[in-house]
Amino acid sequence: MTNDANSTRRSFLKSGALLAVPLVPAVVVADDGLKARLARLEDEAAIRELHQDWLRRVNTRVDDTTEAGDATASLYADPEGVAFDQAVRSIAADHTGKPDAIELAADRKSAAGRFHCAVEIDTAIAQDCTLARMAHAQGGGFVRRTERRVLKVEYVKDSGAWAIAKVEFASV
Amino acid sequence: MPGTPYPKEQMHRIAYTKLSERQIADKLSAVIASGPRSASPLADVFAGKTIRIVTDKGPALSYAFGRNNRLSVAENGGAALEAGYGALTLGSVAFFSHMIPGTQRGYALVIDQDKNLATVFELWFSGYEDNREVQREIYYGYFDQPGQEAPKARHVTTNRVEGKGFYWKQDTGAETLEFFPSASYSNFVELSRLGGELGFCAPSDYIKINDDLFIYTRTECEFSGTFTAYVMDLNRVEQVGVRLGFDASDALEYYVFRGKGEWLGQLAQFEKFGDENGAPVPAAPAGQTPAKGARRVYRPLKTMAKMSKADVDAAVAKRATAFPSAPAGVVPNGPGAQMGANRGPSTSWLAGKSFTLRYDTAPAMEYRVDDAENLNWRKEGDSGWTKARYQAWESAPGVILYGHLLEGAPNHDGHSIVADFHQGLVTCFNGYLNTPYFANEAGVKIMFGVIEMEGLIPPKYNRHQFTDEMVGRAVSQNYAPGLTSMHLYTTPHSLSWIIFTDADAGGLEWSGPAAYVKIRDGLFFMYWLEEACNGTLGTILVNLHTMRDVGVGYSCGTNGLSMSAVGAHERLAGRFDITRFYQAKTSGGAA
Repeated sequence: MTNDANSTRRSFLKSGALLAVPLVPAVVVADDGLKARLARLEDEAAIRELHQDWLRRVNTRVDDTTEAGDATASLYADPEGVAFDQAVRSIAADHTGKPDAIELAADRKSAAGRFHCAVEIDTAIAQDCTLARMAHAQGGGFVRRTERRVLKVEYVKDSGAWAIAKVEFASV
Repeated sequence: MPGTPYPKEQMHRIAYTKLSERQIADKLSAVIASGPRSASPLADVFAGKTIRIVTDKGPALSYAFGRNNRLSVAENGGAALEAGYGALTLGSVAFFSHMIPGTQRGYALVIDQDKNLATVFELWFSGYEDNREVQREIYYGYFDQPGQEAPKARHVTTNRVEGKGFYWKQDTGAETLEFFPSASYSNFVELSRLGGELGFCAPSDYIKINDDLFIYTRTECEFSGTFTAYVMDLNRVEQVGVRLGFDASDALEYYVFRGKGEWLGQLAQFEKFGDENGAPVPAAPAGQTPAKGARRVYRPLKTMAKMSKADVDAAVAKRATAFPSAPAGVVPNGPGAQMGANRGPSTSWLAGKSFTLRYDTAPAMEYRVDDAENLNWRKEGDSGWTKARYQAWESAPGVILYGHLLEGAPNHDGHSIVADFHQGLVTCFNGYLNTPYFANEAGVKIMFGVIEMEGLIPPKYNRHQFTDEMVGRAVSQNYAPGLTSMHLYTTPHSLSWIIFTDADAGGLEWSGPAAYVKIRDGLFFMYWLEEACNGTLGTILVNLHTMRDVGVGYSCGTNGLSMSAVGAHERLAGRFDITRFYQAKTSGGAA
């Protein structure tokens, strides 16, 4: 029995329903300033949770043909609109870089995140010869390298839940 | 008339019958009651016993063994069915096999009596589009001993067999050389069945029983589909196993066997130290659960383009390219380009020179070389010159490898040439198309001769020679970042290539006809034909001093004819002691 190597691990841009929802405050806060501060902290926490969830799915190479793949797609505001580098295999925090930063817009409806990271990138070898075709047939056929990058992510809040609007890798 | 040991067709050329399920069922029905044949006395180790095999993710099998190699088996508590079986022992290991009545299924079981462990191979036909190809699923477990706690250990897949090679002689008289240069494939040379001309490859399993005993399987996919499994004792070099399948005449082969052999050597492994992973090639893509029996199988005949002569002529007329241009350090686009990423710098040594290559068995070729990438050629006696693009590499001082297409040749020939200007000798691998099986499959003619050039006096009798000095050697080649393989020179007339995984374990493997010519000490010019496998002619000049090869690939597909550079950094990976098996004996026939 043959299994062809045709994984579509990075094409998990599908619709779904699971979004990151801010935590419900557990205490009653009387002061408006404190309320606003708490709300921002809750938004930041929700975005960090969303980011961690997204990283986990990228790094575990969730297959888009599975239920988990659908759940990954649900992290995006518009799954069809988010272009993601198909060659990225894994993303790890770069602790030699700057700390993670999340900037909330004044209206708290959008946010931008900057995460210094080490990105493992697979570049597919052209299948122009027997050896390369065999390498792909056994699930390989990639050249892997690790680069330091800045992961720039834009977030939007819709119906009270945060979702990823755009993902971009920039040079350090 | 005395016979020869050679078959009418080699395995990759046999048009195996597409057996129907009905045909297979009919043939199996004849052996279900009798069990597998055996040339050796069968073991009665189980006679009169009842045992229960429990597997982790597979069936529970309850056996009651009678006399005269009869058993009854109940799968998962189902009805007991009677069948014939054959058992053999190897030390403390018992091996037996039987079929399941009324089905196309059967089992081969390895019982480790020391540890009460069992490895179970469920075998079945008609599970792939080619019904005759035996499918297998492996279950690990133990045999249930009343009153005893179930053992926690299991036999495990392993790469500890990787790199080994053995000569085997079965009690059937069958003699083989079997090489394990991969952790998921293997290579076998049928000395007695096929005369030992070529080696062939098959997907394989390697399972560790203990440090001495291992289980090996192969399924001859792309060929007869026959399944072989055996337990081998690496120290005593003994085996017991089973063979199940249909031969080239569609006769059922179902027998257990015992064999003895010789250890032939050990090739290097390239995994990190401590890596004993026995499943370097996952059965299914990441994130997917493999189906029952799933494994990665290289099926080159199924996937290759199969073109007629008209198709080839049209494709070549549309496009014929040789050594596409690219800036220094950049891999050019086009067929086979990756194979040349690690080529060394080409040479302009031939630029401005005129010379004749006088072949012993082919018309002499005259050359006027314009520069480092353009030459003019004509066959002696012709008036007009033909321009051709070429590239050349000086592998050793005075030894130039170069190649060019022969535009206008009826079979779209291409020459890969090694010219030794210090010795005045030349060898040409003349590739051509329009071969008998598939017109786009390359053939090769080997031409020896001398160089005639002003100031150079060639020898009268001396020529480059075929050699078996490379036979048995393994040499790894890194053609490009991420593209590494290993050649194993399995016979004087074939080689195999093994593709490394990301973990540098041996993965998929295939083979083709080959030949080796000695140019100088440590300098060998060789070719391989990817017959029934993409059709490419690969030619390389291997320099064991520099551990670098350069060469030329010649191939035709639907996109046209292509000649491209080949070049790799090499490493020696060891050698099997096998040349003695290929010597013709004075009594006639192969060893």
